[in-house]
Amino acid sequence: MAERADERLVRLLGIVAFLDAAGAVTVDDLATRFGVTPQQVLEDVDALWVSGTPGYWPDDLIDFDAASLERGVVRLTEARGMTRPLRLGTREAVALLAALRAMRATVAVSGDVSARALDAVLAKLTDATGEAAAAVDVELTLDGAPQVLATVRDALARGRRLRIRYVTASDVATQREVDPLRLVTQDEHTYLLAWCYRAQDQRTFRLDRVLEAEVVDVPVATHRAVRDVVDFVPDPSGELVRLVLDAPARRVAEEVPVDSVRNLDDGTFEVVLRVADTVWLRHLLLQVAGHVRHVEPAWAAVDAAESARAALAAYARLTPDADPASGGAGA
Amino acid sequence: MPSQTPPAERLLNLVIALVNTPTSMSKQQVRSGVSGYGDAPSADAFERMFERDKDTLRDLGVPVVTVDAGGHSDDVGYRIDLDAYTLEPLDLTPAELGVLALAAQFWQDKALRVDTARALTKIRAAGRGSPGSGEAGTDAVAGLSPRVRAAGRAFVPLLDAIQGRRVVRFTYRAANTGEVREREVEPWRLAARRGGWYLIGRDRDRGAPRSYRLSRVEGTVRVTGTPGAFVPPEHVDVDAALSGRSGEVREARLAVVPERAGAVRARAVSPRGTDLDGRRDLVVVPFTSRAALADELAGYGDVVVVLGPPDLRAAVVARLQEAAALDGGAAAGSDATEGTDG
Repeated sequence: MAERADERLVRLLGIVAFLDAAGAVTVDDLATRFGVTPQQVLEDVDALWVSGTPGYWPDDLIDFDAASLERGVVRLTEARGMTRPLRLGTREAVALLAALRAMRATVAVSGDVSARALDAVLAKLTDATGEAAAAVDVELTLDGAPQVLATVRDALARGRRLRIRYVTASDVATQREVDPLRLVTQDEHTYLLAWCYRAQDQRTFRLDRVLEAEVVDVPVATHRAVRDVVDFVPDPSGELVRLVLDAPARRVAEEVPVDSVRNLDDGTFEVVLRVADTVWLRHLLLQVAGHVRHVEPAWAAVDAAESARAALAAYARLTPDADPASGGAGA
Repeated sequence: MPSQTPPAERLLNLVIALVNTPTSMSKQQVRSGVSGYGDAPSADAFERMFERDKDTLRDLGVPVVTVDAGGHSDDVGYRIDLDAYTLEPLDLTPAELGVLALAAQFWQDKALRVDTARALTKIRAAGRGSPGSGEAGTDAVAGLSPRVRAAGRAFVPLLDAIQGRRVVRFTYRAANTGEVREREVEPWRLAARRGGWYLIGRDRDRGAPRSYRLSRVEGTVRVTGTPGAFVPPEHVDVDAALSGRSGEVREARLAVVPERAGAVRARAVSPRGTDLDGRRDLVVVPFTSRAALADELAGYGDVVVVLGPPDLRAAVVARLQEAAALDGGAAAGSDATEGTDG
């Protein structure tokens, strides 16, 4: 069994303390409560049954009512003094409280009933653990237009299909019908995981690229288990691109999915990445051009440079001076 | 003994023994009396097993305390402090437990996931638990799944150092210069912002507050000195420390090719914009960081032209001029005033 000894120990102690307070509990309820299989609960009960204080005579052991266990009900008859639940370690408390606070901030924006449950948990846990949680401060950004966010939350809550207009990273807008599965807030973006009827597959949509969303009054279909993938996976068939960049472009190594990063002696660094979409690569190169020392293959540099020259030409045509008149006319 | 007691059961018996001992137990009493320790083939093996188990228990939050038995110098005894052991009763509703289960999935770091999973087990044990209270109450947060990127190996040692108020040393690669240097820091806070993890603390060499991106910490974080070596400020303004997040909101006026730059339009005051000259729409987008918006807009090439404000336009043009030189100066002299189509 792959479970760590310390994790199992905490559960074994937890089961005794819980049963001492709760009385008789079915195996299934106990399994649900502790997030394990009923089989695991029975193994845990067996382990507890032979544990106790030195001597290990019958009176020294933790004991259960054997007759009720026959009926699938666990009833503790002797706890050997292990009736108290174990306190949280500081790091455990901090990790949990920071997560709850970040969730609270996420939920607050969309203002719904879950905020109440979160507030209650936060208050109870803060009381139980003291002030340590200030060590970690997590702020998640819920992006996306407020009305889009509200519509998606509504569809998720009511289990309804969505019609969305979505623009891809290559700036192509499409209309799709999707069954929303989950709203994932990660790092600086919010993503909608959904079954896409157009693609006939699960897709991940960045919420700030959802231009419009409306609820379709059709219940969502049942789909196979959600693949909980948000991170962009580079297309293995994509072309290998090698960039050498100055230090200030470090975020490329940190935020773009790259195959490898190598620090070079002169303070520059090299990244290797797979690119399936040349438009995406052009966007990237235009953004960090000032810090690019080397690009392979060479066509990528030419492509970005040509695009930049076309853009500069457009800037030359559209001077800010000409703007107030037309801007005024439009407004 | 041929059959070894599983470690979890040995640990369990040790906890029960140390909770129930009237005063304390010596190592010898543990070895001869507690189930599982008789398995140790030698005194050395027992010693190692016992030390490791004690560390494991303390790491789990079980307060194993040493008691000086007095008299014989070797007779150190051990027991568990039951008052320090106990979590106050936490009566959580099924909905609240559901919220907690979700929070336990928040972290992507393995070490922190283990911590939160264990905390969840402890909390589940502390409820009175109405019969049949599964965690069906998750409807309240249906479909919500907040989480943060893995913070890396530096996180847990830094967190421990913050709590112990201990000074840390680590090797850091500065992004603006690429310089790699040893830093000595009084750690105050760990913060997650916009996809990155940061340490905020006082740099001892500079004698001033600094922030460090954890992904730029190289190698291991070493803890130096004694606990309680410094007093962190009462209030740490994380966002001020991570400068570049000035609050002023300005409006960018953009000339955008029809139907294009949808992601920019999505943030616009009015997504469709207003017709400029039949060939472009005027789209107005609020922004706070000029550099971030200039990066993004430069990426669109000729699809988006910045009309104002002037400093944003200049920033984008500067990026485009650098990009125009990427192919080795095929048109190195070109600039905004004499644009040549490539």
